Amino acid sequence: MRLATRVVAVCLLGLATLLLGRAGAVPEGRIGSDARAEGLVLARCGTCHSTDLIMQQRLDRPRWQATVGKMIHWGAELSDEEADLLVEFLAARFHPTASGLVPLSEIGEAEPLQAEPLSMQERPNGVAQQGAALFATNCQACHGAGAGGGFGPKLAGNPILHAEASFWETVLYGRGSMPAWEHGLSRQDIADIQAWLKTL
Amino acid sequence: MVYQARLVEVVVMSSSGESLVREASVAPAMSRRTLLGRIIQGLGLSLVLSPAIPVVQAREQVVEISETDRLIVRVARPLDAETPVQEFVSFLTPNSRFFVRSHFGPPPQEQHSEENWRLRVTGLVDRPLTLTLDDLKQFETVTITAVVQCSGNGRALYRPKTPGVQWERGAVGNARWTGVRLLDVLRRAGLQTNGLHVQFQGADRPVAATVPLFVRSIPVEKALHPDTILAYEMNGRPLSLLHGAPLRVVTPGWMADSCIKWLTDITVQQDEAQGYYMQTAYRYPTRQVTLGETIALDDLKPVEAMIVKSLIAQPQAGAVLVSGPVMIQGVAWTGEGRIAGVDVSLDEGRTWAQARLIGEDQPYGWRQWQYIWEATTAGPRTILCRATDDRGNRQPERSPWNPGGFLWNGWDRVSVTVAG
Repeated sequence: MRLATRVVAVCLLGLATLLLGRAGAVPEGRIGSDARAEGLVLARCGTCHSTDLIMQQRLDRPRWQATVGKMIHWGAELSDEEADLLVEFLAARFHPTASGLVPLSEIGEAEPLQAEPLSMQERPNGVAQQGAALFATNCQACHGAGAGGGFGPKLAGNPILHAEASFWETVLYGRGSMPAWEHGLSRQDIADIQAWLKTL
Repeated sequence: MVYQARLVEVVVMSSSGESLVREASVAPAMSRRTLLGRIIQGLGLSLVLSPAIPVVQAREQVVEISETDRLIVRVARPLDAETPVQEFVSFLTPNSRFFVRSHFGPPPQEQHSEENWRLRVTGLVDRPLTLTLDDLKQFETVTITAVVQCSGNGRALYRPKTPGVQWERGAVGNARWTGVRLLDVLRRAGLQTNGLHVQFQGADRPVAATVPLFVRSIPVEKALHPDTILAYEMNGRPLSLLHGAPLRVVTPGWMADSCIKWLTDITVQQDEAQGYYMQTAYRYPTRQVTLGETIALDDLKPVEAMIVKSLIAQPQAGAVLVSGPVMIQGVAWTGEGRIAGVDVSLDEGRTWAQARLIGEDQPYGWRQWQYIWEATTAGPRTILCRATDDRGNRQPERSPWNPGGFLWNGWDRVSVTVAG
């Protein structure tokens, strides 16, 4: 549990650095609720889409309200109080006059055509220390802090971690409500996450 | 060595005249500091400073970047990525550099593999069909060169900003699409006279079942146009998964919101498709509107045909040019007409000079153009371009604002510096 708490803390700290670092000084006393709002962004918005989509928006309060309302209508799990907190946070950070610098990413492979699960030789060796942060960013929203389970199954101690073919096939191509990650994560990222999960 | 692949993904790109460090999709929500920290931990500082790795030196990066086979990722999951505009110096956009957009990402393998995949044609037809890909390939094969452009291409250029993926200039491409006519398939099924709209649905699904499916329809006139096709090849290669394998709709001259990927269901019906993505999203006001205004439903119509537009592919934004002749080149396209001309301005639109149209001239393809500029005065300059089509439509300086940020076609502009 202590590890899980640390993972959440590291993850929130990372996002806070990213979100707050660009926005300049933050009024004191708001940091606690900001951290909670950032957690909501990761856990509730991040279920369906990566958070870069949010960070590139520049909307005023009524339009953030409308956007969050639409997402709740579509199934985002937010209580009224959480929704208010989120709108407050988003309108304060990603408002029309916020900095024009938006973090973006690049990919090297625009057209991955892997139709078959990777052979053993093509699976990179995972680095467990790298996996925790990758998991927090990409998987935690569904699989819970410390991979303890949530919307998606508990992965800590899950036998699929050792069923190589099933693990890779599921992560790369998805299964049921699990999205396919072949375009969202590199092979190395997946190997790192797998290595970290095996340490739990 | 584990980290090497990640390192080379840290590149410098020029956007809106500014140099930015754009990070790999290693971990989308990770700060640059954290990423660099990881790199330093993993490799040691010496490697970070190695000349083989792009560091923040914008001027030196221009050539290197133009040779890189890359897309600019706007959203990591589900993947939305646009083509760097310097790629648009070729008539056809290579498949690996073609922009990628979908609402939910590609469907799982078991749903799009050829053995399992079926195309169903139902609704107001005499003979509902279920076709395999082989069945479909028995219809006459047609190949059409066509621009496919996201309706939101250029959304980031609207002020006030509008919600949605902040596409800049590259959510567009020109490809040769091979497949069969939708008309032939609908004829085989026996289209009934009260079938006025043809609805498409793909195999892609949202994470949560509460999110509306991406279902769209086109009017039967467009569906029966002999150039509207169901494509299984792109630039002579089987459609890749990111581009809709095994089958997608291509509606030449129309925006890509009609070009449904991973197509599995065609339903002929009397009315437009219901649901969010047809009745609410992808609609455009028929009159001038402002932010905050309530727009009556009757004043909104579906985004359909493309409108006249051009882009400057070379030189790139931020380039430092040697004084003397400079080759300015780019592409221009329109909806259902043809490009009549492209003009270039080097004085903020006060005077315009005609560019030369070059290369292939295909009905729905884009037109390449070039203009030689004698760059003599040292200092910063902005290059502008605007296209005109054969129906007299000309690109405006700025497109009329609309709440969805659709159909941007303002003058394209690229700022450069002429060295002294």
